[in-house]
Amino acid sequence: MSSRYRLDLVLRPAEGALLRALGVATRRGYTPVAVDAVASEPDGRWQVRLEIDSARSPDQLARQLEKLYDCLSVEVVPCTP
Amino acid sequence: MNGAELTVCALEAEGVDLIFGYPGGAIMPFYDALLGGTIRHILVRHEQAAALAANGYARASGKVGVCVATSGPGASNLVTGIADAMLDSVPMVVITGQVSTALMGTDAFQELDVFGMTMPIVKHSFLPRRVDELPEMMREAFRIARSGRPGPVLIDLPKDVQTAPADHLRPLAPAHVPRPAADDPADLERALQLMRNAQRPVVYGGGGIGMACAVGEFRAFAEATGIPTVLTLKGLGALPAGHPELLGMLGMHGARSANMAVQESDLLIVVGARFDDRATGKLAEFAPHAKVIHLDIDAAELGKLRRAEVALQGDLGRNLTALSAVRPAIEPWRAQCFERRTRYATRYDAPGRGVYAPALLRKLSELAPRDAIVSCDVGQHQMWVAQHCLFNHPTRHLSSGGLGTMGFGLPAGIGAHFAEPDTTVVVVSGDGSFMMNVQELATLVRYQVPVKIVLLDNQALGMVRQWQELFFARRYSEIDLSDNPDFAALARAFGVPGYSLSLREHGEDALRQLLAAPGPALLHVSIDTQANVWPLVPPNHSNASMMEPDTDELALSA
Repeated sequence: MSSRYRLDLVLRPAEGALLRALGVATRRGYTPVAVDAVASEPDGRWQVRLEIDSARSPDQLARQLEKLYDCLSVEVVPCTP
Repeated sequence: MNGAELTVCALEAEGVDLIFGYPGGAIMPFYDALLGGTIRHILVRHEQAAALAANGYARASGKVGVCVATSGPGASNLVTGIADAMLDSVPMVVITGQVSTALMGTDAFQELDVFGMTMPIVKHSFLPRRVDELPEMMREAFRIARSGRPGPVLIDLPKDVQTAPADHLRPLAPAHVPRPAADDPADLERALQLMRNAQRPVVYGGGGIGMACAVGEFRAFAEATGIPTVLTLKGLGALPAGHPELLGMLGMHGARSANMAVQESDLLIVVGARFDDRATGKLAEFAPHAKVIHLDIDAAELGKLRRAEVALQGDLGRNLTALSAVRPAIEPWRAQCFERRTRYATRYDAPGRGVYAPALLRKLSELAPRDAIVSCDVGQHQMWVAQHCLFNHPTRHLSSGGLGTMGFGLPAGIGAHFAEPDTTVVVVSGDGSFMMNVQELATLVRYQVPVKIVLLDNQALGMVRQWQELFFARRYSEIDLSDNPDFAALARAFGVPGYSLSLREHGEDALRQLLAAPGPALLHVSIDTQANVWPLVPPNHSNASMMEPDTDELALSA
């Protein structure tokens, strides 16, 4: 049974960083249902809120995202129905 | 100095003295810069072979393999070799030319978004837009490729970045890659406690042992604990063939004694392995009674497919040394495992006069020097190599495990030769795989690479044929290769001595002749089209349901 989670990411402002993070989520079997991404001032870091739907554990996805060179932090936030 | 020359200097600063590649328009400044440097370039005949040769070089040497190609088709031809490195955690740096930044996004000649294309198959990638970014990117590329769980890193170099003035820049010194931190002593103690309490423990070792340079610690651990050990395809050699604790390879084509031990175990100590489906069979029925201690550098592998009672992410060598403090009292279990190893030992007395591939490969392994490297392709012969060749270190067995890349064997063998020029390198290939990079025979001749090729020719795509026979009611679809060329004559046309073998009684002499050849040589071996690889666990079945040639119908219905 699938559940919905939100992952709060901070990404380095590097070539392809946003695409790379979204790609990992979809390839690993997590369906994005909402994405909110803002390049913050003054350092240009991406502040990403990624809502996903999947039967798989969000912690597993968090570990995969943490491996990305451009991913500076990941936090899993349960979504309330 | 321009950006291309700076790139070459950065490679030299990283200790690179050899690269594999193929030039073209967008990478021409880099090739021009090579002329003034100390790096030797090996010109292959297809970019895929450049990536696979760098891959084989890295697997054999443990160093970062480097390959280069131009933009567009040059870059896209690298893709399979990059993916292969990603799936098998091989450290590589891949440099591609790219059209100038002003042309990017305009569908320019040979423009291809290789940065985007390879995103899922690289550990990381860089696309410098300014020459000032190059020193840091080059250093980071090598650091990322070799740190933690190794993997490939791509640098896509726009042509104007290569030609931009760079006199104000210098390459950076290589980054230090620290050893991983030690694990929490409390976690290690919990692991030791599980080991003390186990009645039927099994060690399940994988490719991570070799990559972590922990082969010595792994052997000491196996010997100190006396726990029966099984190895994955990539782990072969972590314990030398014939080691008293070794039961053999587990998995789809694993040894019966190995799979039975795992299925009956009450504790699995998983070392640098990742529960790959070819190793586990049906995951839900894999080692159903076992608790798990999982040691792996990659946190994302811990708990990914099987929950671990104790997960240890720290330095593998140190952890194995810490876990060597316990020798469980398991004599009845050891006796049972080793009795089965004897009872189910491979027999080489197949009927007939034709060449029996398992026996030929065993003989090859006995005749070749003990430290010979065997680079194989993908298919039935790959499994026969794993089952019947004798390896004393993981770097002696080059096999495309994760991606299963047909065409891997010859270019990877070429790479292995350049990593260890004084070591005998044998390529074992099949008639399907060999044709996928057959053009590299020209590379053998150009550089007089003394690789010995054993080409097992069953005039079919053998593994597909075997599955169609067993799982598709003998409905054979597109597996016939009976119109193969005369491979020995083909080799001779390239300038490689080629011999043929069809009778078993001539096998040893033919192998001796091959191994004694002063340069490259090819032995074309005709084998039975009907020959299959045994045992076999049917896909998505438990490893307990191994098929054998005389019992396949029975086993399938079980």
